[in-house]
Amino acid sequence: MPHSPDAPRTSLFRKYFLALFAAVALPLLIAGGSEAWFGYHDQRARLNDLLDAEARGAAAKIQDFMEGIRDQLGWMVQLPWSENTDERRRLDALRLLRQVPAVVSLRLIDAAGKERLFVSRIGLNRVESGEDHSANPAVAGARSGRVWFGPVTFYGGSEPFMTVSVAGNRSAVGVAVAEVNLKFIWDVISAIRVGRTGEAFVLDQPGRLVAHPDISLVLRADEAATQPLQALRAAILARPGQAITGQDIARNSVLAAMAPIPGVDWSVIVKQPVTEAFRRINAALWRTGVLLIAGTVLAAVLAYWLTQRMVGPIRLLEEGVAQIGAGQFDHRISLGTGDEFERLATRFNEMAAELAVSQERSERISRLRRFLAPQVAELVDRTGDDSVLDGRRVEVVVVFCDLRGFTAFSAQAEPETVMGVLGEYYGAIEAVVSVHGATLMGFSGDGAMVLVNAPVSCPDPALRAVSMASDMQMSVQKHLVGWRTRGHQLGFGVGLAMGPATVGRIGSEGRLDYAAIGNVTNLASRLCASARDSEILIDRAAARAVGSSVPLVELDPRSLKGFDQPVPVFAVVFGIGH
Amino acid sequence: MRFMPSVCAGAAGRMRRRDFVALAGAAMAWTLPARAQQSAMPIIGYLGSESPGPYASRLRAFRDGLAEAGFVEGRNLAIEYRWAEGQYRQLPALATDLVNRQVTVIVAPGGAEVALAAKSATTTIPIVFEMGGDPIALGVVDSLSRPGGNLTGVSSLSVEVSRKRLEFMHELLPTARSFAVAVNPTSPTSSSQMKNLQAAADSLGLELHVLTASAEQEFDGMFRAVSQTQAGGLVFSSDPYFAYRSQRLAVLAAQHAVPAVTQSRDFPIAGGLMSYGGDFEQSHRHAGNYAGRIIKGEKPSDLPVQRVTKVEMFINLKAAGALRLSFPPSLLSSADGVIE
Repeated sequence: MPHSPDAPRTSLFRKYFLALFAAVALPLLIAGGSEAWFGYHDQRARLNDLLDAEARGAAAKIQDFMEGIRDQLGWMVQLPWSENTDERRRLDALRLLRQVPAVVSLRLIDAAGKERLFVSRIGLNRVESGEDHSANPAVAGARSGRVWFGPVTFYGGSEPFMTVSVAGNRSAVGVAVAEVNLKFIWDVISAIRVGRTGEAFVLDQPGRLVAHPDISLVLRADEAATQPLQALRAAILARPGQAITGQDIARNSVLAAMAPIPGVDWSVIVKQPVTEAFRRINAALWRTGVLLIAGTVLAAVLAYWLTQRMVGPIRLLEEGVAQIGAGQFDHRISLGTGDEFERLATRFNEMAAELAVSQERSERISRLRRFLAPQVAELVDRTGDDSVLDGRRVEVVVVFCDLRGFTAFSAQAEPETVMGVLGEYYGAIEAVVSVHGATLMGFSGDGAMVLVNAPVSCPDPALRAVSMASDMQMSVQKHLVGWRTRGHQLGFGVGLAMGPATVGRIGSEGRLDYAAIGNVTNLASRLCASARDSEILIDRAAARAVGSSVPLVELDPRSLKGFDQPVPVFAVVFGIGH
Repeated sequence: MRFMPSVCAGAAGRMRRRDFVALAGAAMAWTLPARAQQSAMPIIGYLGSESPGPYASRLRAFRDGLAEAGFVEGRNLAIEYRWAEGQYRQLPALATDLVNRQVTVIVAPGGAEVALAAKSATTTIPIVFEMGGDPIALGVVDSLSRPGGNLTGVSSLSVEVSRKRLEFMHELLPTARSFAVAVNPTSPTSSSQMKNLQAAADSLGLELHVLTASAEQEFDGMFRAVSQTQAGGLVFSSDPYFAYRSQRLAVLAAQHAVPAVTQSRDFPIAGGLMSYGGDFEQSHRHAGNYAGRIIKGEKPSDLPVQRVTKVEMFINLKAAGALRLSFPPSLLSSADGVIE
């Protein structure tokens, strides 16, 4: 098991989770937040408009009420007064009382300011009393401005009353002065509904409650109790055209807007409980909040899932790579994500498979090195292709060589000496074979077998084999000189033959050999056995292939074991010129 | 819980017929289940000066007012009735009875006597009165806007407008120089009304004959006296005792062929000539509304006394025809209701 890498400083899981979560949650929060913000402001503006419209509507209704009374009074001041009692006018006055319930009494004043007629629901009617009313502010007010609305007075400290006087278009028609019971505005004010539970009320100029759906508040005529309403009006006046939040008499939070009633100089204020007015806004805010929370949770779940999907395969890949790295090339990463991860896993699996093949091959090649010339081994190693070792039939040159008198030497000499001689001998042979790019098939005691033109083919194999044999002779003869001085009576002979042979790997996975099977091997071996010291014997095929490039001497055909006919033999003349 | 009100109503009926003092102990015993019930359903103690019959139209208006405040008798409210059957001396005892029953609120409609009887019976249980007179002058409350204490209610203008009745009579019979006035001497408003009427007679240049009646048996003699005094007609002062006996008065007026005017529209509807007075439907409705609001938790001292400002005139053309009278245009055009 290879050492596991250090734990990462930050986990990919955390990074991806945060990134994905932020990618989903942030836009959601920004969108939701801005939606809530703008929604709130839109709704607030809509409420503003709504309450403003309600206030103006309510003001118009109250104004209609007042103008209705004014118009009725206008009928009474259309004809000039005569000196005599005007019965018709008395009937008109009585009819006015009948028609306008809010008018409690009506007084008609002529051009001279004298009372000509007084009718009342409660008091006795009077005709031509002649009472002087020219100093009455109602009369003076109507004369200067056609219509005069007096201040609100509270009868018995409770019931709101007001004097309304109307003058005709000429002074001769006089003035009509009416006492109006303002309690009758209740019919108007109680009919006004703002939203579901919102209502309207009327304050006069000094801030006294003139009309309210709860008539008892008006009748209480308690200026201290109406303080919150005055505060409300002051707050609205401070920010004209805006609906504001404040408190009503019961100290409930309300949203209120105001409209003035011209003429009487009153204010109509409409109010709606804040909870009701903002119910839709609050509901929307709640909705948005819940959606945002749900969205955020969803984003977290989604981010977790996606991250898991991404990091899971990565961990699987990491483990797999670790296993493969540990040499378990048969390990396979199984990923079915259908995306790049799966492709990556497939790549890793392919890599592992190729690594396994490559390892097997390199093991095989290392085994081949034993008998392949280094160049060949290198070639096979480099190409990674050992198909050259596959079995085939090819024209080869087989070279055999061995030492003469080795058996007697090995019997007499010390094992160290034998091994030392053999070591030098092997070294010399290996060096020569290597130089000539031949294949050393192996040593067998003092004998060695070398193959030329297999497994790697080369040009002019016969010549190369002959030249190699010459080099072998020269190299070994040099050693022989040394050994002889030490008293070892040894010689060296070489035989080679050329011909077709079946070459290739033989053997099991554990014990693999490269072999050349055919008559030519046998012939080369026999020629070697028949060669004397310092002699190189070659067969006819090799001699023919060499031609004249190497001096040869044809010897008498020899009878060789395993061959029915005597075999033509040639000896290589070497060392000439050396 | 639904059977409870009927059980209690039955108990109340039984108790009414017995001597109160003898049953004081029993009444105390009754308060136990009554208290237990109180938490579930509020009880109104309704103190009536007459019997349910004459009160029927008033009760209807009263229940309308309760409904405005969200209460319906038998569903979320029980009403215990105590009727004086015209025996106004019984009122204090009946009021005390209601107090002992620990009702949630006492409703005392139909005049100052009823209100004063309730007022003297308790200073804690809220009382809603209904009357035609001025509650301040009658000593029921100190102020209209801030009644204080445990009383509030509704007042109509019936008492104040009794002089208008004389004026209308004068308008109908401009040649008559004298009129008879019917007064109930036991009524707490009788003296103020007499003063009022006398002042009006003086300014109209009329002579008044005062006739008194405080019991039904005296009515006949009163009408007979009108014919004897050569008075042009009979003007009734405002008094609940008269108002609740409009039927009888209408019959007697027709019998004696006396032109008469009372405060209640019941009179011309029953065949009398004319009426001018406060709208009792409004006043009783407001009283119901106030009772409901008090049950809901409002304090009577926070509820100002309401004045019913509507004064209505009803005339009966048939009665006028029988008396060989015709209403002048001023009266015809002023009338809120004309019975033909």
